[in-house]
This record gives sequence, C-alpha cells and structure tokens, in this order.
Amino acid sequence: MSAPSLASYIVKRPFLKRWMMPIAQWYTDASGYRRLGLKADDLIPEENDVVQKALKRLPPKEAYDRVFRIRRAFQCSISHTLLPAAEQTKPEEDVEYLSPIIREIEKEKQEREDLDALVVRR
Amino acid sequence: MMLSRSTFSRNAPRALQKQCSAAGASSRRGMASAATPGLQYDVSESAGVKVANREVAGPTSTLALVAKAGPRYQPVPGFSDALEQFAFKSTLKRSALRINREVELLGGEVSSTHSRENVVLKAKFLSGDLPYFAELLAEVASQTKFAAHELSEVVLKTLKYRQQAFAANPEALAVDAAHAVAFHRGLGESITPSTTVPLEKYLSAEALHEYAQQAFAKSNIALVGSGASSADVSKWVGDFFKAVPSGAQLQSAASKYYGGEQRVSTKAGNALVIAFPGSGAFGTAAYKPEASVLAALLGGESSIKWTPGFSLLAQATQGFSQVRASTQNLTYSDAGLFTIALSGKADQITSVGKNAVDLLKKVAAGEVAAEEIKKAVALAKFRALESAQTLETGLEATGSALINGSKPYQIGEVAQSIDAVTEAQVQDVAKSFLSGKASVATVGDLFQLPYGEDLGLTV
Repeated sequence: MSAPSLASYIVKRPFLKRWMMPIAQWYTDASGYRRLGLKADDLIPEENDVVQKALKRLPPKEAYDRVFRIRRAFQCSISHTLLPAAEQTKPEEDVEYLSPIIREIEKEKQEREDLDALVVRR
Repeated sequence: MMLSRSTFSRNAPRALQKQCSAAGASSRRGMASAATPGLQYDVSESAGVKVANREVAGPTSTLALVAKAGPRYQPVPGFSDALEQFAFKSTLKRSALRINREVELLGGEVSSTHSRENVVLKAKFLSGDLPYFAELLAEVASQTKFAAHELSEVVLKTLKYRQQAFAANPEALAVDAAHAVAFHRGLGESITPSTTVPLEKYLSAEALHEYAQQAFAKSNIALVGSGASSADVSKWVGDFFKAVPSGAQLQSAASKYYGGEQRVSTKAGNALVIAFPGSGAFGTAAYKPEASVLAALLGGESSIKWTPGFSLLAQATQGFSQVRASTQNLTYSDAGLFTIALSGKADQITSVGKNAVDLLKKVAAGEVAAEEIKKAVALAKFRALESAQTLETGLEATGSALINGSKPYQIGEVAQSIDAVTEAQVQDVAKSFLSGKASVATVGDLFQLPYGEDLGLTV
C-alpha cells in the first residue's frame, strides 16, 4: 500500500525537515479531508488482505470511531457541505491509528516469506 | 496347542540363569534400587528457580517448566487454558512463526499441557541444544507478548474447539462434575470451561498478561529436566531465568471434601462416576497408599491381553460388553479423588454401577481373597513406579512436588509404602468410603441412569 516516498530522507535531516514542514502542513490541510472530519489513515485503500486484517485487529472503540467518521464524511459529501469548524479534525488529532498495525502485518508477511526462502548452512 | 514338559524343563534353567544375571546387572546398574542414578532427580536451585534433573544416558533430553497455575489457581474461568495456548506464541524478541521454524530446524518438539493444578511447558530436543531450549522456555515465561490479535485469532478459536471436544466426551464431563461436587472450588474448578461459559467476558490479553506474571514468577515454577547433565541444566537455567520476575506463589484455599450428586443431561453418551476422597500425592499429608491398592483391586481394565484380568470390576463386567469400567486414584498436592468411572450403554451402566458398589461392600466386609490383594499391591506398585519413570507423568509430579515444597518422588520409599499395605488397611479404606459421603456424577440419558441412592450409596 506504500508508494515511494522521500519522507524518511527528509525527516532524517533537520534542516530539510524545518524547511519542508510548513509546506507539508499546508498541503495536508489543503487536501481537505480534515474538513470532512476524517483522519489520514481513513484514506488508506482497504480493498486488500493486509488492510482488511489490520481493520479486524483494531480495538473495538477505534473501529467504531472509524466507521462513524467515514459515514459522517459520506453524508457531508452527499449534501455538499463541510463540517462546522469545531467538528473538523484538528492537526493534533490526525494521528496514525491504522498504519502501525498495517506495518506490523507487513512485517509478519515479510518474515514468513524470508523464512520460507531460508537456506540453512551448517 | 500342547506344551510338552520337556520344553518347560529345557527353558526353566535358562530363564533362571537370565534372572540371576539380571540381578547381578541390577547391582551394577541399579535398575530398581532406591539409589537408581537414572531415576533419581538431583534437586538444586539456580537463579532462585527450583531445578530437578535426572541424568539418563542417551542423545535426547527433555526440559519442562511446571507452573502452579492450573484451573485450581486461576482467578476466572479459561485462564489456564489460555495460558497454555499462549505458550510459544510471539514474545518481545521473536514471533511465534520464528520460534516454530527455529524449533523445526533444531529438530526439537515443544508442547504445553495443563492439569487441574499445573500448566506444563515441555521441550524435547537433542541434548546439544539445551542452551537454546532453556532460553526459549525463559523467554516464553517472562516475555510473551499476549497480543490481543493472537488471543482473538488463534487462542480463542482453539479454545472453542477444545470446549466442544470436552462437551462430546461424557466420561470427561462426569469426572469433571465429580470433582466439582467433591471439592466445590479449587480442585473442583472445571478443567476446561464448558461451552456455556461466557469466555469472551473473562478473557482479555491484559488480564492474561497479568496472570502470567504471577503464574511464571520464580517461586511459582519449577524446571524439571531429564537426559542432560545436571551441571549443564543448572548452569543454563541460572543464566537465562535471571530475568524471570520474582513474586509470591499463587494461592488457593486448602482442599476440603464435600461430596454430593450431580446429574448432567447430554446426548453425547452415558457415563457414571462414583468418587470418594482418595490418596494425595506422595510426600503429602493426604498420601494413603491403601487407596491406590484398592483402585488396583477394583480395577476394571485389564493390563494383559485377551483376558478380563484379576480385578474385581473386570470380573463383574464380563457379562456386559457395552460398558467400560475403570478405577483410578487421582492424586493432587493436598487431596486425592478415588473414582470409579463407567461409560457405555445406559442400562448396562446401571447394573454395573450396582455391582461396583456391591464389590466395594464386599471389600469392606473382608470377603476378598488375600491373593487378590497381593496382586493388587503388585499392580499398584507397578503403576506408581511406572508413572514416576514415564516422562509425561513423572515430570509434572516432580515439578509439582518441588513447588509445593513436599518431598520429591522417592522411588524406593513409594515402593516400600505400597508393599507395606495390609489387607486390613484396604478393608478400612473401603469401609471409610462407604460410611462417608460419596460424590456421584451422572452424565447422559438421565431417564435411565441411576441416582446414587439407587446404587446403595450415601450422598
């Protein structure tokens, strides 16, 4: 699910990070999902096994909130409105809740593949 | 077939010779003497963990971690089962898959089981891999992750199947119900929660993690090895078990015998269990060798092929082909349960149940030949010594004895105590069973199966 990204390259270099952060924040805000009350992780395409499995592993409260956010955004989209400012997602609320689980599952998958391709030398 | 006298006479001296040479060898190898090097456990303590090991010559070894965390000590139902299932799952250092593959590569075997009192994690391996498996057991004991998704994706699903298997076994259900009426709480807790127990309500990964911290605390576990040299075992255990948390032992109230009757309706089959307060494990106050002799005397299952055997119940069930009878003395750390278990067709169970009680009355009245009791003593002795020698039963019994601070299994003393059982003692124990309250558990077609009182028991 991950596309090639320069993010880790930039984050490792403080001067670049300082320079890029305002642009990144402006870009994220401009993409508009926060005004529909969504979080970035809600936008991850879920039509594959890894994300489906990750969704199953969400704690019940997180799963409920996710469905609520998506339905609310759907309603907003149908009625061509934005949420009132108080209900929009604030930048500090826009945290990863699904990506860590996806990364864990991908790691498990990778480990299984690596172990399957293991060559034992004694 | 005819056996000519000459065949016998030719072989007799040879057999005698063999016996003599065996006796000669036994003084060297000490096959059955008290000081047997292969069967006696060396007890030591390293890094605060109790370790027992016996050096058996051979290329493979076994190392088992016995934790006093069976259903008797669990705070809510299902914890012991879940703890057992969580063994060798993902730890903070490696994933379950990795553990699995590594063990496969080394050619070892890991398993976990639980009894009413203990959870046992066992590893069998080539002796050279001892350090790896000692580390693995320490890691499982102290660093298992208890991931919530493993609980819901693996453990709970397996537990459901286990519950169903348990519900489909009438004899296991009856033995469980007999424990429940005999001991109420503690030993009476169900060994596997029944299908109607709301497991999801009780089981959570965090609560299990907390229970594991107590269950695998240093004072609550013992390591029992077989095969590798004692010096190696205590060295590696000392190295790897340092990080295991230390804490108080899990406690449960002392067992008390109540007795009573329970009837469970099920379509799974029919079983009847008649139980009395039996003998505890060797080295505890509740140890009564005469109960195990009585169990061998009543018996029910033959130890020889093509014959019902000498045991009284086996003789009594000869006419009833569709019923299986067995008498056992189940031993625990502070109590025991003497059970006569019958399973099979409902009407035959009813008749055999009456016979069994009549036989018990006959034993109490002393109407059993001395010869039969001698055979029973021999069988009881064999069973006790064999269970100590066999890995599966011996490891747990030794570990449990170490944790509870009683005497570890002493082969010589066990044999002596059983040999010393007299006819009068067996008669007395039968009398005490009949005068006290019995525990009767009936499972199956309750319309046909009898009540305890119909059998002539006081419940």
